[in-house]
Amino acid sequence: MSHLLTALIFIPIVAAVVALFIPATSRKVFQYGTLVVSLVQVLILILIFQSYSSSIANSGFHLAEKYSWITLDMGAWGQFRAEYFVALDGMSLTLIALSVIVMLIAVISSFTIDKNIKGYFILLLILNGAIMGSFCALDLLLFYLFFEFMLLPMYFLIGMWGGPKREYASIKFFLYTLLGSLFILIAIIALYLSVQNPELTGQQLVHSFNILHATDSQNFIAGSILHPDSVWKLGPYSARMWAFLLLFIGFAIKLPMVPFHTWLPDAHVEAPTAISIILAALLLKIGGYGLARLAFPVFPDAVAEFSWLIGLMALISIIYGALNALASKDLKRLIAYSSVSHMGFVLLGLVSATTEGVSGAVYQMFSHGIISAMLFLLAGVLYDRTKDRQIENYSGLSSHVPAFTAFVIVAFFASMGLPGFSGFMAEILVLVGAFKSHTTNFMIPGWMAIVATSGLLLGAAYYLWTIQRMFFGKFSVKVEGAKLPDLDQREYIMLLPLAMMALCFGIFPQLLLNIINPFAEHLSNLLSTISSTIKP
Amino acid sequence: MPLDLSEKLQWILDSTSLLLPELVLCFGIFSILTIGLFKKIELIVFQILAFVTLGSCALLLISDWPFVPVKLFQGMMRVDDFSSYFKILFVVGGILTVWITRQEGLPKYRSEYFILILAIVLGANLLVMSMNFIMVVLSLELISISSYVLAGFRFTKKAAEGSLKYFLFGSAATAVMIYGMSLLFGLTSTLDFSSAEFVKKLMGEKSSLLLMGGIMTLAGFFFKVAAAPMHLWAPDVYESSPTPVVAFFSVVPKLAGFGVLIKFTIAINVFGQASFDWQLIISCVALLSIAIGNFSALLQNNLNRMMAYSSVAQTGFMLIGVAAISVNGVHFMLFYATVFLLANFLTFLYLHQFEAGYKILSVQDFAGLGPKTVLPSVFLLTGLISLTGLPPTAGFTSKLLIFTSLWEAYDQSGKLVLLLLFVFGLVNTVVALFFYLKVPYYSFFKTSEITRSVPKKNLLAENLLGLILVMGLLLLFFQPGLLMGWINRINFVL
Repeated sequence: MSHLLTALIFIPIVAAVVALFIPATSRKVFQYGTLVVSLVQVLILILIFQSYSSSIANSGFHLAEKYSWITLDMGAWGQFRAEYFVALDGMSLTLIALSVIVMLIAVISSFTIDKNIKGYFILLLILNGAIMGSFCALDLLLFYLFFEFMLLPMYFLIGMWGGPKREYASIKFFLYTLLGSLFILIAIIALYLSVQNPELTGQQLVHSFNILHATDSQNFIAGSILHPDSVWKLGPYSARMWAFLLLFIGFAIKLPMVPFHTWLPDAHVEAPTAISIILAALLLKIGGYGLARLAFPVFPDAVAEFSWLIGLMALISIIYGALNALASKDLKRLIAYSSVSHMGFVLLGLVSATTEGVSGAVYQMFSHGIISAMLFLLAGVLYDRTKDRQIENYSGLSSHVPAFTAFVIVAFFASMGLPGFSGFMAEILVLVGAFKSHTTNFMIPGWMAIVATSGLLLGAAYYLWTIQRMFFGKFSVKVEGAKLPDLDQREYIMLLPLAMMALCFGIFPQLLLNIINPFAEHLSNLLSTISSTIKP
Repeated sequence: MPLDLSEKLQWILDSTSLLLPELVLCFGIFSILTIGLFKKIELIVFQILAFVTLGSCALLLISDWPFVPVKLFQGMMRVDDFSSYFKILFVVGGILTVWITRQEGLPKYRSEYFILILAIVLGANLLVMSMNFIMVVLSLELISISSYVLAGFRFTKKAAEGSLKYFLFGSAATAVMIYGMSLLFGLTSTLDFSSAEFVKKLMGEKSSLLLMGGIMTLAGFFFKVAAAPMHLWAPDVYESSPTPVVAFFSVVPKLAGFGVLIKFTIAINVFGQASFDWQLIISCVALLSIAIGNFSALLQNNLNRMMAYSSVAQTGFMLIGVAAISVNGVHFMLFYATVFLLANFLTFLYLHQFEAGYKILSVQDFAGLGPKTVLPSVFLLTGLISLTGLPPTAGFTSKLLIFTSLWEAYDQSGKLVLLLLFVFGLVNTVVALFFYLKVPYYSFFKTSEITRSVPKKNLLAENLLGLILVMGLLLLFFQPGLLMGWINRINFVL
């Protein structure tokens, strides 16, 4: 039982290695083998929940596994030490649960892939392991390893199995994300050289890659560049501010926030359905996760310093993403821009630094994962049938494909934040947090919360307008030779659970909030304390 | 103080016994020379002979580890851990080059080919041991002259042009270097740059002659390691030389240059007491090499030219370890050099295989080959990823370590140029990724109308080598301690 997380991460990776030796012609083996891996992960997830709920009272990390990984003796310079350290807290558990569910759906959705099956499923398995790993890792080097390890499979998955402009989209995705991850690497090196391991204070200095060590300002080495008292300055900012900005931009590219978002629409439009699902539901979350796990808790002083700017950025993402969605002619592009808008709420919730806001941000990550998976699946359903996603080419679909229409309407309503769906709970929490912030910790001004609310309105506008254009009115499909059968059994299997979850977590938010809350309280306390010492 | 004859003889006798690895190389050269006199000797015979020579040289080096620093020939050279580690790298480089040399790439002058390779390894060995300017020039010329000839081994007009270009540039660089050395000799009145006298004379020396002499001498070394702005020969020579030779050039003479460059830099920096900022000069050259190498490589379609600029950029990254001027910097540089050797040979192994098998010379020729040749393409991808510096390959670890040493240097000195180098160097990885990924991009994503016949040739030996190199790169990522533990025990003394 003590190796649950390792099993979760490495079962897909081992499966990928085994798959190398299976002949490429055995199509069913790859499909069902990958499915079995995902089902095993679901089983492990249940076990994780079981052992987690028995110890839910305390807010720390659970299921920790810690082994030394790289230990290099550097003589007078101390010790280079990286660990294999994985553990879960409320936020990572939520995201791990999301990942397992979404990966399962993505595997089922991948059954339609018919080109180069072997390569596809091997890459999917590696991606699976890397995603799980980045949500569990608590060692900076380990986290970075998993973080980078996602890029290459993703690059090939988009580039080889994607749409017509896939080459452009995949290289753009790779370069953007790599640039972001290099910013993160710079910050990691600086952090590593500034943080010492408090457990090993012999005569030798032991530098630490441990994220938990970095979040405690006691562990910064006196005189090091990132020490809170460091006098180092470059331009207007101190080293801590710069390091935070590097981390922030790195994760903001991943999230993505305007103006770093331009890779997202291209990657989404060109990626095959299953990969779009993973991209929207999981990879974007790593951006949010990185901010909440690393950037914010390690540099709370910098968050207080830049809170206004970060809030503004979140706001622009919400509004600009929604406006772009409104103007999109391609259904997938519309959903991609709606993602930008929704991830803006994540950032807004985090920067509000209130318990409600942070809870809402994590809840939004989960909820958006479920709902965006559903949206991209539905876009894929349409594309599979007609090879066309232009909104203007369809009208009156509700009369011919009622089941499909029903699911689209559910997904759209859930995504726009209709009460009763998970999206509503998440966004309402974020907004409550945002409003509360300007009276309690002064992180973001009140007008930001007000303007952010208009994002909900815009969301309703583009979704309702799309429903009106595509599903109501006189039936017509302006695509040559297109046949439009309604949903088949496999598609029901994927869509029904997602729709149920969107509904279930909208009605019983307590299920997740109980898990998230200890983390949210911890982070908001940390940020608010710092903020109250800096701001009036 | 002049020594009498018996003392001189004693020096020579004592020193020679410590030069066993080099003597083995000489013996190998002579035996290949002798056998080459007979006509119609199969290539494999030479290959085996070269293998045996290099292999026994490697065995001697490893079995005598660790080396107590001993001066040879009245301080002309020194045997120590540092130089011996380099020597092992050269020998491994030589072995790999011999391994990937193919029958069809070598129509004539077979024995000479192997003699020249062994001679360059010998020259490189001597160069990293040198403690004296005279010895540096001698061994550098042994490498250079052999290289000029080897560069022309395609025997085409273009090859002759490349070879001549190399010769002209090389001679000019050597001349400049010797001029610089003579200036330094004039200032210090000693040729032994590791001696206390050299250091003492330079301490507090403010004459601009020192600056000139130092820069000119460094220029010669920069030429050898192909650092910008002394890199101009590289693209032409790389394009016109046979691919195994290019792989060899981009590792062995380069690393030999680094061996002597590190020693010289540390000597001339006189423990940070120098009146000129040598760290600044090295950092600027590193910065320039990374920038010129990466950005020029973006525009290249010819594979060897692209790899030439890539090697300029890699030089820049290795110079970072030199620029740090610290023990860690040197250690991490050695680690970087080892990983570079593996990744570079892996890349060239498969570039050569594709070139020989499918007549591929440009990036575009790779279109559609990926799915047909999965194993070689994936191995090639691993090599390129490692050169870029992404996990899970050792390329990432080596970049991480070398940048860590740079940060440490910055933390201590606070020089802005080091910070600039740090940020610019890391961000350049994105540029590097773009051109390194061009090959897998074309081979996996693009399709081509041309139907190519798959060559029927047993590639077991080459793919086995590829597998070993890939495993090495992965292993050094997950367990860098295996190698770093060894390197960390290397005592670097001037």
